[in-house]
Amino acid sequence: MSRKISIDPITRLEGHGKIEIFLDDDGAVEDCYFQIPELRGFERFVVGRPIEELPRLVTRICGVCPASHHMASAKAVDGCFGGEVAPLAVKLRRMYYNAHYIHSHIAHFYALAAPDFVLGPDADPAIRNVLGVVAKVGLEIGGAVIASRSKAQEIQRIIGGRSTQDIWCIPGGVAKGLKPEELEEIRPMVADLYEFTQFSLQLFRDIVLANPTYLDIIANGPYTLDVHNMGLVDENNAPDFYDGQVRVVDFEGTELHRYEARDYADYVAEHVEPWTYLKFPYLKQRGWKGFKEGIDSSIYCATPLARLNVADRMATPKAQEAFEEMFATIGGHPSRLLLAQHWARLVEMVQNAETLQLYCDDPEITGDQFRVIPQRVTGEGIGIVEAMRGTLTHHYTCDADAICTSANLIVGTTNNNAPIQMVTRKVAETLIQPGTDPDQGILNMIEMAFRAFDPCYSCATHSMPGEMPLRVSVRRGGEVTHEFRRGC
Amino acid sequence: MSSAAAADRGGPEATPIPPGPAVPRTLLVGMGNPILSDDGVGIRLAQALAGRLPAAAGLAVEEQCTVGGLNLLDLVAGFDQLIVLDSIKTKDGRAGDWYRFDGSALRETMNLSNVHDANFATAMELGRRMGMRVPDETDIHIFAVEVMENLTFCERLSPELEEALPELVDEMHEEILALLDTPFRGGSRPQASAVDVWTT
Repeated sequence: MSRKISIDPITRLEGHGKIEIFLDDDGAVEDCYFQIPELRGFERFVVGRPIEELPRLVTRICGVCPASHHMASAKAVDGCFGGEVAPLAVKLRRMYYNAHYIHSHIAHFYALAAPDFVLGPDADPAIRNVLGVVAKVGLEIGGAVIASRSKAQEIQRIIGGRSTQDIWCIPGGVAKGLKPEELEEIRPMVADLYEFTQFSLQLFRDIVLANPTYLDIIANGPYTLDVHNMGLVDENNAPDFYDGQVRVVDFEGTELHRYEARDYADYVAEHVEPWTYLKFPYLKQRGWKGFKEGIDSSIYCATPLARLNVADRMATPKAQEAFEEMFATIGGHPSRLLLAQHWARLVEMVQNAETLQLYCDDPEITGDQFRVIPQRVTGEGIGIVEAMRGTLTHHYTCDADAICTSANLIVGTTNNNAPIQMVTRKVAETLIQPGTDPDQGILNMIEMAFRAFDPCYSCATHSMPGEMPLRVSVRRGGEVTHEFRRGC
Repeated sequence: MSSAAAADRGGPEATPIPPGPAVPRTLLVGMGNPILSDDGVGIRLAQALAGRLPAAAGLAVEEQCTVGGLNLLDLVAGFDQLIVLDSIKTKDGRAGDWYRFDGSALRETMNLSNVHDANFATAMELGRRMGMRVPDETDIHIFAVEVMENLTFCERLSPELEEALPELVDEMHEEILALLDTPFRGGSRPQASAVDVWTT
């Protein structure tokens, strides 16, 4: 028979992130380590399975960006079958992905970024959330946020048949096309989403740009890194979220690399540190040079801002206007101001909404040639897309029976592990000076750095209540002098 | 979930709040990842319970749910009662023990700590303030099973949890039947404020 007792599990959660800060004899930061639980074994889990099953399986890797994994996986599987994909399927996949981008960026901007800027980074943590934002800017904006997210998700459902745990992409194309009546259902929602992107940009101008304090945090806070940038671009060097070439540009604007997805292993390698399971990708041809900033660094960011930094222009006119306004305001292109990521997301939303409009007007979009039946197994495929959180690579091999023999994934957040590590240390060094006592404020200052990258760590801590418990320990001479916890 | 049930749910644009149906509507959700070892225990429980629960009026079962944050709001909108079956990992917890608490137990997590999205409690509260029909926090019932392994991809539960599963299903079945039988009065229904844990 069960025995019932009372506890409070919320304050006892395991699986938390840990930040260990080591001080020297003077009380200055000597070292800083950020450690996080990581999901294990996916690459081994998929070996032995039919390769065409992988696009359906990978949506389970992460509940946050399932569509990104679905797309990258589909492209890798296409490659395993010779790489031929119906042109209409590519358009439909892109269209779906445009909607997914808007859906994800709305959630990030309004639920995560806005509280710091609408309410201020010093606001009481109890109100520093989307509810606080709504309370301050008005219920109608909250309603618009929810409605817009819902429309973006509904567009995905109409195009792909479902909005989560996608099963739509299949080798050579997609499982269903877009009917004319479905297109007409989508069209007004796309128009609304475009208007919402313009509304969001204006909100950003009114609330963030009009506040000198916030601008000062963005421009003069510890949230800068002199590292390089990575992102997919099209033939005109405009951001391409679904395909294109990977471009790497240094923080001064010089192109370092430009390569096809199939060549990724020649340009990116992963460094291992003994104190964490997380790997640290770096620019392979420069070699691992440690967690160092500077023009010779081999560290790069793959983020919304990085995508705009590697781009010479946007692909659509209103996005181009937003791009020019942003970089003119933050001191030029490229930018090293990490908190400008939030603005970059809004610019990306505009391009995605405008691209959706173009597809709605494409006379071929409701065609029925949305799949090419694969005729041969060629055994290897590499798919790269821009996940919202960074460049996402899936690399598979299979045998002659199309059974998976190996898989290698470099997920969006992994690209940014080193920069996150570095900015964490930078924030700690800024906050903890000899003679000053660290306080609870360090948590939010560090989390502001996390939020800029929108890292995917929470998929490692899925269990209730769906947040990442975090502990910050400050050590001096081997002893813990301060400890700050949240949710653990 | 039936298409009729889905169609009848209040969507995120459902403001102002539509009138509630005559029969209170309950959503039972199995939360987790079916290929992440014990993380899928909520799904296994929902699958087992779906076959045992009576075809109660207004009861809908979503056996597999991997969404969170504001996406969960889309799923829950239109229901009056929410029962979530999920996993939990606590310090020194014993695999197979399970906890039951209501939505108010998550209230203190309603801060900006989720690294991706609004957290569960925040999403629900946002829906309420937007006038959506969302369960009151006292009508949100969370059944969370203490798990061992939720970081390694695997389609099986750990042996300890697999062994405990039949008993968990029996115990939760009773609790859920009681919830479905209790006259539903929205937020006025008395609830224990403590978090309860069942340990075997």
